[in-house]
Amino acid sequence: MRFSTLRVSLAFLLLPARLLLADVHPTPPSAASTPAIPVPAIHRSLARITTTSQDPNYREPWAAGTISGGVGTGFIIDGERILTNAHVVSNARFLTVEKEDDPRKYTAKVQFIGHDCDLAVLKVNEPGFFNNTVPLDLGNIPEIESTVAAYGYPVGGDRMSVTEGIVSRIDFQTYTHSLVDSHLAIQISAAINPGNSGGPVLQHGKVVGVAFQGYSGDVAQNVGYMIPVPVIERFLKDISDGHYDKYMDLSIATFPLQNPAMRRALGLADDDRGVMVSTVAAEGCSDGVLKPGDVLMSIDGHEIASDGFTVLDGARVEMVEVVERKFKGDSVKLHIIRNRQEMDVTVPLDAAWPYLMQANTYDAAPRYVLYGGLLFQPLSRNFIEAYDIEDLRVRFFYDFFLQDELYKEHPEVIVLSAVLPDPTNTYLNDFKNGVVDEINGEKVRTLDDLANGFRKQADQYVIKMIGAGRPLVLDRAAAEAARERIDERYNVVKEQNLRD
Amino acid sequence: MENSNSITVFLMALLASAMPMYAAPAAAAAARPVPVVRVNATNQAWDYFHPWTKHAPYSHRGLGAVLDHGEVLVTAELIQNASYVELERAESGDKVPATVEAVDYEADLALLKPADDGFLKGITPLALTDAAVGDHLAVWQLETTGALLITDALLTTVEVGRYPQEDVALLNYSLTTSLQYRDGSFTVPIAKAGRLAGLLLRYDTRSQNANAIPAAVIEHFLHDAASKNYGGFPKAGLLFAPTRDPQLRRYAKIPTMIPGGVYITDVERNSPAQEAGIKQGDVLLEIAGKSVDQDGNYIDPRHGKLSLVNLISLQTAGSDVPYKLLRDGKPLSVDVTLRHKAADAYVIPPYIVGKSPGYYVLGGLVLQELSREYLKEWGSDWQKKAPERLVYYDRYQTELFQADRKRLVILSQVLPTTDTIGYEELGSLVVTKINDVPLMSLADVPRALEHPLNGFHKIEFEENPNVIYMDARHVGEHIETLKKTYGLPDISRTE
Repeated sequence: MRFSTLRVSLAFLLLPARLLLADVHPTPPSAASTPAIPVPAIHRSLARITTTSQDPNYREPWAAGTISGGVGTGFIIDGERILTNAHVVSNARFLTVEKEDDPRKYTAKVQFIGHDCDLAVLKVNEPGFFNNTVPLDLGNIPEIESTVAAYGYPVGGDRMSVTEGIVSRIDFQTYTHSLVDSHLAIQISAAINPGNSGGPVLQHGKVVGVAFQGYSGDVAQNVGYMIPVPVIERFLKDISDGHYDKYMDLSIATFPLQNPAMRRALGLADDDRGVMVSTVAAEGCSDGVLKPGDVLMSIDGHEIASDGFTVLDGARVEMVEVVERKFKGDSVKLHIIRNRQEMDVTVPLDAAWPYLMQANTYDAAPRYVLYGGLLFQPLSRNFIEAYDIEDLRVRFFYDFFLQDELYKEHPEVIVLSAVLPDPTNTYLNDFKNGVVDEINGEKVRTLDDLANGFRKQADQYVIKMIGAGRPLVLDRAAAEAARERIDERYNVVKEQNLRD
Repeated sequence: MENSNSITVFLMALLASAMPMYAAPAAAAAARPVPVVRVNATNQAWDYFHPWTKHAPYSHRGLGAVLDHGEVLVTAELIQNASYVELERAESGDKVPATVEAVDYEADLALLKPADDGFLKGITPLALTDAAVGDHLAVWQLETTGALLITDALLTTVEVGRYPQEDVALLNYSLTTSLQYRDGSFTVPIAKAGRLAGLLLRYDTRSQNANAIPAAVIEHFLHDAASKNYGGFPKAGLLFAPTRDPQLRRYAKIPTMIPGGVYITDVERNSPAQEAGIKQGDVLLEIAGKSVDQDGNYIDPRHGKLSLVNLISLQTAGSDVPYKLLRDGKPLSVDVTLRHKAADAYVIPPYIVGKSPGYYVLGGLVLQELSREYLKEWGSDWQKKAPERLVYYDRYQTELFQADRKRLVILSQVLPTTDTIGYEELGSLVVTKINDVPLMSLADVPRALEHPLNGFHKIEFEENPNVIYMDARHVGEHIETLKKTYGLPDISRTE
């Protein structure tokens, strides 16, 4: 439930779970790992993935980006495919896969990638890779305390490694790859280290999870997380129509109903059931169906407890788990109490969560407009992190974008992020970090609006910033004359990018 | 913020001093009594996180300048939140309690009067004197013997600068001096040729830079303190930006023959400038006959280039000051009747001194008004540590709130009780209504609570969870238990 877990994901930043993609130059090994349980044919199902990626630089959005590399793990599933983590192959420019006992490096490409669930499916370009390989089958959610083994290519050596542990906890966790998504995750005590990412965790010869994140040793020990089978199955089913539609979301925030007075005030029985809808995001799936103040009593027939949990397959899980297992185009039936009247409503899961501005973004070129040496960019997590923004207004627009429904007026929050010094903008540096509201009297709701504004003929461009009484004024003739000069001086190869 | 930090440095450094053991020179000992007295203040500030209690008391020791009418001038900071103030004669050590006759926390000045009229007998009061850049001034401290310790200070800069209260900018001296550590130097006078030139505002031991409140500000304060109604340092209520950018000058239609002028970026609601008809987008050319340059400076006959703010703040409140402006390129003249804006005229008051914070504990929900004193409880970097929404509201309050908004009532925290089960995680939420009554200030809370809805108190917030309920009867019945459990002297303190 992306909407209501925002605070959780922010808190998570303080204790960052580390993704397990190994650096190409690993630190020396501390101890060799020895196989803990017999591994008859597992090496015939594993793939060592070497990624060359290029991460865009949001401070220089016209540049191609920094090239880096990493090693991760993948495993073979039916249909001559390799399953791995999205973060192993994000922003990839070139991929090679290798098998144990085969000297050849095969090139591969990403067929499907789900950044919200941190999973990806690869296809191998050259024939022959899948000869003598064994696709792995998916199992179920393992029992707490049962033993599992993680396989992969973590730091400490070049060959396959296996570690053993038990299932410690089954819970919702923030998926750090996107940082705004929370799904079911299973904590295991097996050592999983950088490079384990994307590797299978097996029990009784079947995959029970994909190793994907953990804590660094100075935060917590023997804590590793794997993506469990329901999430993997959902991803594989979602892509079976040739397109990944992402997770669906009710786009609401709820409040637990544990206070006896509150229950009585809302006319509820003393039966520990129901949560109150506190916010319905405008333009989200529940917009027009649910209202703030509605009490959600059951979801698809599963009773909702007053703390927001429900029982699914005999296990107590957050009620959103019901939505988690659905797909775009499905719907959710809710039994609610509105103004003391019981009723049934259906939420169609048709609107994709459009406001991913707070999520880490991958495989996308930064959007920007550069004009007169002024760089305008839409607010996003990548942007905030690249500039390490401390400006209070920009931070507020970022942090309260959803809560205060700032997206209604500004689907994209356009920030003047940098001023490349030139005689045309000598006195404009004070406007840095300003949030654009209007250009020549026209509202700027998106970056395209701003780009269109600069395309129009005008003597001067007058840009109004939110909360600034002084407009930013740019003489068009001077700015046009400066274009070539600025591009050359700052090595700007492209003045704008409006596409993702 | 910067200011209060350096003040701390000053205080710590001077208190941690070693006592000089040598006697003062014979010549000094034979002289008349020095025109300064020691001032000992015991201060106790309210704890805004627990508004029913005060922080532990702390003491400041400073020096006061003896003025006419048996009054002693100190910085307001020295006696801020004072529970007890006493004066001490430098040479004899005699002590007497004192009362605060006048105080201005923005100008950081206070006038004290000894309880005993004869206490200052024999001291020749100090007269005020102006100073200019390049003057050598004398910083006065006291030796333990009561003799004056005089340190030379060079007046390097005169400008409109920041005072300890954020948002306050008044005329300010910058000095270079190398002060020695002496006990009781929280406030010290600065003299020129035996006259009072200023009061030390802050001293940074590392850079050896000092700031001082100049005589001009002191004079304004004394003038107001002597009159029946304290007028204070006035404001016009407008914000401006430089017009150096030729593109902006063209846009604002400033004729090329006019060299100066600043662009009015904001006119505060209900401010003198608004009442005079000044609008955002106007270009300000002249105040009180002084032309304003592109950066907002004028030429002061004594100090040279100074910010136009000085043309306003040193006026007497209530005076009409002529402004010349351009609107849409056409000249415009208005008279602005200047007045001081009191801290409590803000939605989120920039400071509260000498007043106990109001609160209402409703069954465990702690309701209080948002103020900067509350935000400052997060420590010196409160602007980063305090809840972002509240800091944002404080910073942009003139932009964000409508004219009818008096205060913001917040749920600051929840004391866990049987009535607040399930609400423990709530905090830092703006309360919009109680029992459907909109809250314009904390004073509305008791009134709103008089009429529960069907036996419940309905409390509405600006954001999640938007609404919660309390059982009105239970809340009433549990008052004594609540008071006892958390040691509350009372469940509320409202005006």
